[in-house]
Amino acid sequence: MTQTEQSTRRLLDRLFVPLTVGPTLLWIASIIVYPTAKLFWSSLFFQNPITGAKEFVGLRNFERLLFQSGGWLGTFNPDFVSYTWHTVVYVGFSVSISFVLGLGIAILLNKDMKGRGWFRTAVIVPWILPYVMSGLMWRWMFQTQYGAINGVLTQAGIIGEKIAFLSDPTLAMIALIVADVWVFTPFIIIILLAGLQNVPAQLYDAAEVDGASRWARFWNVTYPFLKPSILVALTIRIIFDIRALDIVWVMTEGGPGKSTEVWASWLYRTAQVFSKPGEGAALGVVMLAVTFGIVTVLYKLFGDTPYA
Amino acid sequence: MSTKQSPLDKLGEALGFGSETNEWPAVRRERLVAYGLLTLYVFVVWFPIYYIFVTSIQPTSEVLSLPINFLPQQATAQNYVEIFSNRPFETYTLNSIVVATTTTVVCVVLGTLSGYTFSRYEFLGNKALLLSIVAARMIPPIALIVPFFEIMSNPPLVGGLTGSLYDTRIALILTYTFFNLPFAVWIMKNYFDGVPRSLDEQAKVDGCSRWEGFFKIVLPVAKPGIAATAILAFIFSWNEFVFALVLTSTEQAQTLPIAVSLFVADDFVDWAHLAAGGMIAALPGILFGLFFQRYIVSGLTQGAVKE
Repeated sequence: MTQTEQSTRRLLDRLFVPLTVGPTLLWIASIIVYPTAKLFWSSLFFQNPITGAKEFVGLRNFERLLFQSGGWLGTFNPDFVSYTWHTVVYVGFSVSISFVLGLGIAILLNKDMKGRGWFRTAVIVPWILPYVMSGLMWRWMFQTQYGAINGVLTQAGIIGEKIAFLSDPTLAMIALIVADVWVFTPFIIIILLAGLQNVPAQLYDAAEVDGASRWARFWNVTYPFLKPSILVALTIRIIFDIRALDIVWVMTEGGPGKSTEVWASWLYRTAQVFSKPGEGAALGVVMLAVTFGIVTVLYKLFGDTPYA
Repeated sequence: MSTKQSPLDKLGEALGFGSETNEWPAVRRERLVAYGLLTLYVFVVWFPIYYIFVTSIQPTSEVLSLPINFLPQQATAQNYVEIFSNRPFETYTLNSIVVATTTTVVCVVLGTLSGYTFSRYEFLGNKALLLSIVAARMIPPIALIVPFFEIMSNPPLVGGLTGSLYDTRIALILTYTFFNLPFAVWIMKNYFDGVPRSLDEQAKVDGCSRWEGFFKIVLPVAKPGIAATAILAFIFSWNEFVFALVLTSTEQAQTLPIAVSLFVADDFVDWAHLAAGGMIAALPGILFGLFFQRYIVSGLTQGAVKE
């Protein structure tokens, strides 16, 4: 090896860290810092939908979003209140139902038995299909005349008249929750199953010898090991549900009326359909703040190291 | 205990519970219940997929007839042929393939390199940088649709060179890389944490440079981690809908999820064709799920659970 070859080699080695990490950091920084800063910046402007001219309006977009015109505290914007409530109902029910269901299935799958891999494969598939296709699929399932659910119910003689699921405010919300649970329960199953597999088998045996009941075993042996997985499953699931538009948009478009309008569909409607990017960005800022708030609370409840 | 086999015993044996009779009844009954519940769950979960498949292989006249046929009377590929001849489905499919593949390659290359360095080296601010990469995962993408739309319509740096990136595959690739790269770095960092450091040291003793050590010694061991990262990045970008909806408007860049949603007109849905399009869009997910489930699970749990 010649002198120059050796020094090139040494130089390349010294550049290992910057060359491997550099591109990633540059990429993420330029495309995180910039859009995030732009989000905050855009939220301060009003854009004329016809001329496209922008006007600085300060916090007026936030005011319009959160409060009724002309008022401040105590007079919340009724749209904001009702869409927030829809979001809470949608996220609350689908996360808790899929959590309970997912925990149950994960416990069953954690048993040492033949065909476990096969079941795991069958269980995971709904989560990896495009959400849009799943949403449309459920819209088809709930369709009034030719949908499978009405088909099963009428052809089995359970109901006489077909139900217009997606035209009724309450039933439409239930239909959305069913679709959401269908899509995301596999995610809960995978994460919790990974947690269950960390529980040392000897601890179970010891607890059994001690005569601990099933519940006692779950709370004292399983739960402490499962806590980190529960935290991750709930955090990611809640964050994802608040921001997920796909299923709501293709199943109900926020309807009938505005009965299934949630934050995500509202944001899309405001920013795109009504072309009010300033108000859309303001709602984006609110969602960002709420998301970080929820993550912090969940970590306080279930863990101690945020974002680890 | 061993005198006579009950039918339940035989069933249990057929299911492979072993023949140690002292296991019976508690443990065996428990397993039988587990099998029953899991089978029921799988059946319910797969029914919608089955129903959309059945819809996709029936002519429209039959899809819209009562009572509903849960078993197709005459299977046909007609809907599949028609979506490719009446609509630019080959273009949508190509767009999806190009966007998802490019995103996957970029995420795997950058994620593997930087994941390794984050796992092995201490450098200025490495902890803070890693933390900010993780925090980036917490940003709700939809909150950023306004800035992304503005940036892609009027790119700040390359604007003078390329003009608007709106309605191009590049806009989607850039966006999807942004959302998947932090995850890729995280999975790969955790994966390399599990690869013994003695390997690196041995490479060094053998006179390998850092690059040689990485490419020749460590990288080959990391194949399962790379597979997990690649599969997840591919599925996420293949399935993405919201940003594709906002950033594209013509078949020039529209992907399959958009193509499927286009079957929904204002008051009318073309269910038979939608089902066929939906099956095509769902194909990679179904195939990956069936054949690479192990990698998906390990990637998810490594990316999400491990500290």
